[in-house]
Amino acid sequence: MNKKQAVSYISLILGLFLFPTAPVGAQCKLGVPAIKVGAQGAASGPHSDYGRQIEMGATMAMEEINASGGILGCKIDVRFMDDENKAATGVKNARLLITDWGANFLVGTDSSGVAMAIGPVLAELKHIQFFTHAATHRLTEELVAAKGIKEIVRVSVPVYQDAIIAALIFKDRKDIKRWANIGADYEYGYVSWNLFKETLRKYRPDVEFVGEAWAPFLTLDFSPHIAAVMAQKPDAIFATPWAGEAVQLLRQSLGQGVFDNVQVWWQAMGGSVDVLEGITAEVQKDRFKGKLWATARYIHNWPDTADNRAFIDRFRKRWKRFPNYSAETTYSAFFIMKAAVEKSQSLDTAKVLEAMKGMQIRNPGGTRVFRSEDQQFIYNVPAGRPMMDPKYPIPVLGDLKVFPAKDYYRHPPFTPVSATK
Amino acid sequence: MDNFAFQGLIGLSLAMYLWLISAGLTIIFGVLRIVNFAHGSLFMVGAYLGYTFYGQMGLPFGLAIILSLLGTGLLGYVMERVFLRRIYGVDEAYQLLLTFGFILILDDAVKIIWGGVFRIPPIPDFLDGAWPVFGRSFPIYNVFVIAVGLVVAVVLWALFEKTWWGRIARATAADREMASAIGINVPRVFSGVFVVGAMLAALGGAIGTPVRVTAPGIGSAMIIQAFIITVIGGLGNLKGAFVSSLIVGVLSAYGTLYFPVFELFFIFVIMAVVLLIRPQGLFTR
Repeated sequence: MNKKQAVSYISLILGLFLFPTAPVGAQCKLGVPAIKVGAQGAASGPHSDYGRQIEMGATMAMEEINASGGILGCKIDVRFMDDENKAATGVKNARLLITDWGANFLVGTDSSGVAMAIGPVLAELKHIQFFTHAATHRLTEELVAAKGIKEIVRVSVPVYQDAIIAALIFKDRKDIKRWANIGADYEYGYVSWNLFKETLRKYRPDVEFVGEAWAPFLTLDFSPHIAAVMAQKPDAIFATPWAGEAVQLLRQSLGQGVFDNVQVWWQAMGGSVDVLEGITAEVQKDRFKGKLWATARYIHNWPDTADNRAFIDRFRKRWKRFPNYSAETTYSAFFIMKAAVEKSQSLDTAKVLEAMKGMQIRNPGGTRVFRSEDQQFIYNVPAGRPMMDPKYPIPVLGDLKVFPAKDYYRHPPFTPVSATK
Repeated sequence: MDNFAFQGLIGLSLAMYLWLISAGLTIIFGVLRIVNFAHGSLFMVGAYLGYTFYGQMGLPFGLAIILSLLGTGLLGYVMERVFLRRIYGVDEAYQLLLTFGFILILDDAVKIIWGGVFRIPPIPDFLDGAWPVFGRSFPIYNVFVIAVGLVVAVVLWALFEKTWWGRIARATAADREMASAIGINVPRVFSGVFVVGAMLAALGGAIGTPVRVTAPGIGSAMIIQAFIITVIGGLGNLKGAFVSSLIVGVLSAYGTLYFPVFELFFIFVIMAVVLLIRPQGLFTR
């Protein structure tokens, strides 16, 4: 060893003594090697970007929380699984993650059907899942508020966003009297359309619902559905196919000149990043003629806060994509979990749930408020028209209509909503 | 009346998509006697290659379709030559397992290569727009699909009925031992037929890339309908596949217009009725 090497070694040893590092997990106050969070979503099939976004949101939250010292000194470990948008797979994953892998919490789930299957299993396994996409109102209204399954917590806004906010926006459009529906042929589509009709009728008894066409999951050609509802000469279309199906529905509708003949097209989750990416060329050319309206469970250009802008910047730097809503809601779920665990100083389900009572937390998507009756986090997301903004390479939602969340969330005690065609 | 006629035309374009994929399935079964579950995956690969050549590399749309046909044809050749050829003589269950295995492999392969995000490139300018038909706007793209479907029907008829290769293929389908005894290279015929079938699946996938999403798993969306069509028309019967594609496509469109709540059942009701009355299919003696 020469003198130079000796100095280096001594410096290193001194450094270790003088500046001791505190690796996350070494001082975990909860007495566990790590807080394990099982995440799942649809990571295969045509909607697989949503599962991927859940994974990206979960991974980024884990990295950030661990980099800042973890939760009470405990590092987070995330394991993501593909639920294939199938109820049986989702349930199998939930059991495996909790009983085999030892997950302390679960997060994610895209499909309403999968969520409804997992819900009762959570009660059996006594572990909390933070649902971050599945939209059926029944998850929180029936399973939580009516049946008392407290292990279900929903961070994302349910179908209220798809249906009720649309009715509030268009109730004052006296030029629109004839509505037609191109619906997703499963629970999400049925509930959205039924809630929309129920809400709009209260404000506008004069409106007519003149046509319906139902497209099953994985529809590749919407031409018959578009032609069928346009035969009824509607003033406006209410559409719930989502993700890539929404993009091809809109593109195929352009071919049939729909936007020359209707006043409004409401695309329920059209504000999601993947849909906006898919219709960028059409928005640039104004092919929707300003008649396309959309919302989402989070939109990347709202709220215009430092928190959200910073989140977008970090997400784009990490993943080279904009976050869609399942990424933001999953990311936020981790910080909700962090706040609840820190407050309760425990991983016990009952104590963590108790700590969530009255919680108000600032997330990239805005302030979320926990509602105990149905364990639903409440927050605002506006609706608007897709348009280009020089600050973004993909469309944003502009001409935003912002309603207080209390105006379009349903409130307990809940009245039944039909979940059939 | 205008709405009825317009919906019929929309149904015709839907039928042509169904025809393109069921035609390939039909000729593969007709000659090789293989129920190719992976046919939908070949449709998906054709769509991805079409997207790659047209949407990513910017090649002309027509050239992109041809290249995707060639690429999928090559994949089909490898599947037949390397894998399927080894199991012709064993129980059919092995064919089902092998072709089902291809579905899983190809679904994951496209996700690894192209990612999970769906792909949908812009519509080529010459196919964008609409023509006035029955007082409504009928998409030029749908006209294009109808034209391609009809051309394929004529070409396939000519190929199998008017060419030497077609006669060889039909002879092999009728009696492969006799065909082999008179000097026909049966394995080569099988490879050729499988490649043609794969290219038809690819055509169905590639032709729709600007108006239908390309995503992992889209093959399974098509394969069920394609199987129903081949059952209705008669397994291995090309004419039957064409006519039953028309029946299913047009009736589905009318079902959407007149019975939107029950439309999904239409296709299954038709298949159930055909299986009850003519289990061998409408066009198989």
